[in-house]
Amino acid sequence: MTHAHRNRLDRRTVLKGAAASTVGLLAVPMVARSENKAIKIGMSTILSGRVAQLGTSSRNALMMEVEKINAAGGLAGRQIEMVIRDSKGQPQEAARLSRELINSDGCEILIDAEASSGAFAVHEVARDLGMLTLHTNSETSSLSADPKLHLPNVFRACRQGVHDSIVGGSYAAKVAKAKNLTKWMTTSPDYAYGRDTTAEYVSYVKYFNPEVEIVGEAWPKLFQPDYTEVLTKILQTKPQALYSCLWGGDLTAFIDQGNIYALFQQTETFAVNMADYTALTAVKNLPKGIHSGDRYIKTFPNTPANAAWGDAYRAKYNEYPTNWSWQNAAVVHFLAEAAKKANSTDGAKLAEVLKGLTIESPFGTDGHLTLRAEDQTLVGYAIGWGTTIPTEPYVTDMTAGDWKQIYELEAEWKKKKNYT
Amino acid sequence: MDFATLATCLSSPACLVTQATGGLIIGMLLFLVAAGLTLIFGVLKVVNFAHGSFYMLGAYFALTIFQLTGSYTLTILGAGMATAMVGLVFERLFISRVYGQNVLMQLLVCYGFVLIFDDAVKIVWGPEFKSMGMPATFQVPPLFIAGGVVPPFYLFVVGIAFVIGLALWLLIDRTRLGKTIRAAAYNPNMVAALGINTGYLYGFVFALGGLLAGFAGALAAPVRSLTPGMGFSVLIESFIVTVIGGMGSIAGAFVAALAIGLIRAFGSLGFPLFTDGLMYLFMVLVLIARPTGLFGKEIA
Amino acid sequence: MTRRSLAFDLLVGAAALAILALMPIVWPSKALVDFVIRGSAFALFATSLNFLVGYGGMVSFGHGMFFGLGAYSFALLMQRTGMPIPAAFALTLLMCAALGLIVGAICVRLKEIYFAFLTLAFQMLLYSLIILWVPLTGGDQGLRGGIPRPPFLGVNLANQMHLYLMSCALLVVGLILMHHLVQSPFGYTLRMIRDNATRANFLGIAVFRVRLTAFVLAGVFAGAGGVIMSLFVSGAYPEFAYWTISGEGIFIIMLGGWNSFLGPVVGTVILLVLNDFVTRFTEYYGLTLGIIILLFALGLRRGLLDVVLDAWRRQVTLAGVGAKPSGVSNAPL
Repeated sequence: MTHAHRNRLDRRTVLKGAAASTVGLLAVPMVARSENKAIKIGMSTILSGRVAQLGTSSRNALMMEVEKINAAGGLAGRQIEMVIRDSKGQPQEAARLSRELINSDGCEILIDAEASSGAFAVHEVARDLGMLTLHTNSETSSLSADPKLHLPNVFRACRQGVHDSIVGGSYAAKVAKAKNLTKWMTTSPDYAYGRDTTAEYVSYVKYFNPEVEIVGEAWPKLFQPDYTEVLTKILQTKPQALYSCLWGGDLTAFIDQGNIYALFQQTETFAVNMADYTALTAVKNLPKGIHSGDRYIKTFPNTPANAAWGDAYRAKYNEYPTNWSWQNAAVVHFLAEAAKKANSTDGAKLAEVLKGLTIESPFGTDGHLTLRAEDQTLVGYAIGWGTTIPTEPYVTDMTAGDWKQIYELEAEWKKKKNYT
Repeated sequence: MDFATLATCLSSPACLVTQATGGLIIGMLLFLVAAGLTLIFGVLKVVNFAHGSFYMLGAYFALTIFQLTGSYTLTILGAGMATAMVGLVFERLFISRVYGQNVLMQLLVCYGFVLIFDDAVKIVWGPEFKSMGMPATFQVPPLFIAGGVVPPFYLFVVGIAFVIGLALWLLIDRTRLGKTIRAAAYNPNMVAALGINTGYLYGFVFALGGLLAGFAGALAAPVRSLTPGMGFSVLIESFIVTVIGGMGSIAGAFVAALAIGLIRAFGSLGFPLFTDGLMYLFMVLVLIARPTGLFGKEIA
Repeated sequence: MTRRSLAFDLLVGAAALAILALMPIVWPSKALVDFVIRGSAFALFATSLNFLVGYGGMVSFGHGMFFGLGAYSFALLMQRTGMPIPAAFALTLLMCAALGLIVGAICVRLKEIYFAFLTLAFQMLLYSLIILWVPLTGGDQGLRGGIPRPPFLGVNLANQMHLYLMSCALLVVGLILMHHLVQSPFGYTLRMIRDNATRANFLGIAVFRVRLTAFVLAGVFAGAGGVIMSLFVSGAYPEFAYWTISGEGIFIIMLGGWNSFLGPVVGTVILLVLNDFVTRFTEYYGLTLGIIILLFALGLRRGLLDVVLDAWRRQVTLAGVGAKPSGVSNAPL
């Protein structure tokens, strides 16, 4: 206690100082202060574990765009300060983190860059706490299609399964007609994404080309390292065409293993998730002619803006952008545009503006992206299919999906699922 | 359930050959990993929870060595030796401190290393999945045996794995060193009293386990997607194999691994949605019938 | 060895509950509230596991099956039926007991590592079932859409503070009950079996029945933990039934100590603090956690509370003071 006299920073001084600064703070007009105060935006994603690339590529793209926006003045004059956390892919962690970001870390907006189950967990937090929440990576259609999950403060700013399936089905049906491919087999990972996507794709191929018949199915486990039993089953069944929504490391392992069985010489293969740089560059012996759905390719849409963005990402991070990258970049653009229109960063006001908002974007099929008003989900993004070649640009002959067709069939799908 | 497909297959020689060789390849790779695991448990009474990480390291070492040398032979040997070294260091510096302790403590040490190895691999090689690519020698069309499809690479792997397994068995069963190892498993104090340095012996056994797992990793690398954490799935399966075969029995591991391989191969035809479940079910049944596994002995 | 009376435990429990109830008022922090809720779930789970491991000598690798079943049963009952929360809770505990009975009857006969593996196998079977039965459980996406929380007896669990208080109450009551079991003749019999099953057998104790009962009881308390977790996330996810939950339970016991009753509670706090703070500073959570595990396993070689209590007892004995510190079981188990 005798030390207290040594320096003047004793309790009394501190309290006096605190009082003085509080008075000083109160003296400044509140409006001016909030304009200059940074806006904290929270982001919950997966930065470790098997799917770490999801989080790292999301974060990289997001930060690249946030820096641009901040340089141009920020959101309605407020500089964006990102608070990014790692849920390690556990839904209960995602729930906890999103609560903490809003309740304790002072974030006003939440960007949910979790995968499916994490996104649903965060969705419940958004229901409870009511902050503006944007899902940027979950592709499960029910997240926005199911009216039970509708929340005015939540948007899905990324692609979704049913859109991809409609385009994929339509493309495959055309190829099937041209090459007379009637016997098909499916090989997809055994979890919700794999099952739902495959089922929808099959229904749409058959819708466009009723002669297509599924003669066999294989359901390897997600992250299963060994596809031997799947490959031998395919060889037994001898289909003319093969569909797969395997992705990432699973897809490359499947292709590597399929190669030694000479699978791709005998079977026309349709891989939803092939046109993704990480997958394309990882496979050392990429077979020619695999029909690939795009995740992100800088040559599709074939515009200078898109190519420039892809190159900029590559230059900055020394890695290729992924599907998750463009989605998170797009969300920043949406927020920036909404803040400009609303001239505010208030969550409720932004949500009002975001509903039905259309922005210019290099990722849009016709240069635009829209957050559809009726179900607050992203539409207009570039979806396409092409065939692989072993060298850059890796995929050629990209044909884009027709959004008019997508809207029609999506409406029917919703009716069938009792979502309307 | 799809008994129709299964029945058709069992009556068709082409299908039998294809599926059986598929099961063989699954089984043999599993055997290599499980053999090291069961050896370590049999002799050292340590459940090496980090064994899957040895496999992962073997695969990554193979990736780098192949990128540097382009020779698959060097790759296999190099990856094996490197992983053996890791196993040796791991045992001498860490596992040796928890001998005779609560099995949970041993598990904890191993688990700590699994986490460390996973992140170490992520730091050195990066978090994205990697592919080694097939060595040029094996970039050939598959063989047709009795109508069944057999890739030459898989024949090679099965052959090498079989040779390694045989060599292992000869080592343990026919050599003096093997006798010492078996003796140490039976009565370590006596072996020590006879003047044999049990420390070196234990280190050797762990190194041997690492060697086997490293070989497995290198043999699997051309057809696997390398990613930090790839050890886990192998770990679970090799544990199931060692438990079913009997902890400490290499013959048991061999039989169990083949059984699992064939169950997977034929099971995926008859039970496409429950293939994993079949494996667990098999394990449950074996354990209920013979709690110490097929060839296992009672733990002293 | 002194037997603590139930009344004393109740007093301590009431005091603990009072402190927990006052904490958010003294230290208003929503993160703290969430921390305690999650902590209650895991502490119940880990303490129930230690009931088996520390007091029963039965190392189960599949204990997470009860946590998962607890979460799913409760969430499903609330989503599908209109039943009041207390009824759903009771029914959930009953289901966990039933699972414990079936699985325990098969597993409890086995020794050591085989018991561990078989319980794990059963847990993974349950997990496979959850993943497979999509129409009921939602498959790998889990139960979505939230859990309805009809208010009961003036308690509205949609209010985070009510959930907080209820979790604390469940934790305290659960701990008191488990402590009572541990200190009861049943608990002593269990420990006798742990120390020497053959001898217990010769003394005429029905070893199988005691072990089975312990297994079932542990399962029930673990299920209660699962219920708290499902309320926290407003749903249920397959991760709750995956072997990693069992691993976390073992890990918590190792961190906190398996020789003291409150060891798992201490371990839960350590694990959650590590979990919550490490990821703020580094992407290499695994590396950090691995190093910390090694420090515990190779350095301390015991859980934290065990270390602390051992040091305290040594000091007490050295000082020659006879008075036993209150609230601490001094049985060197």
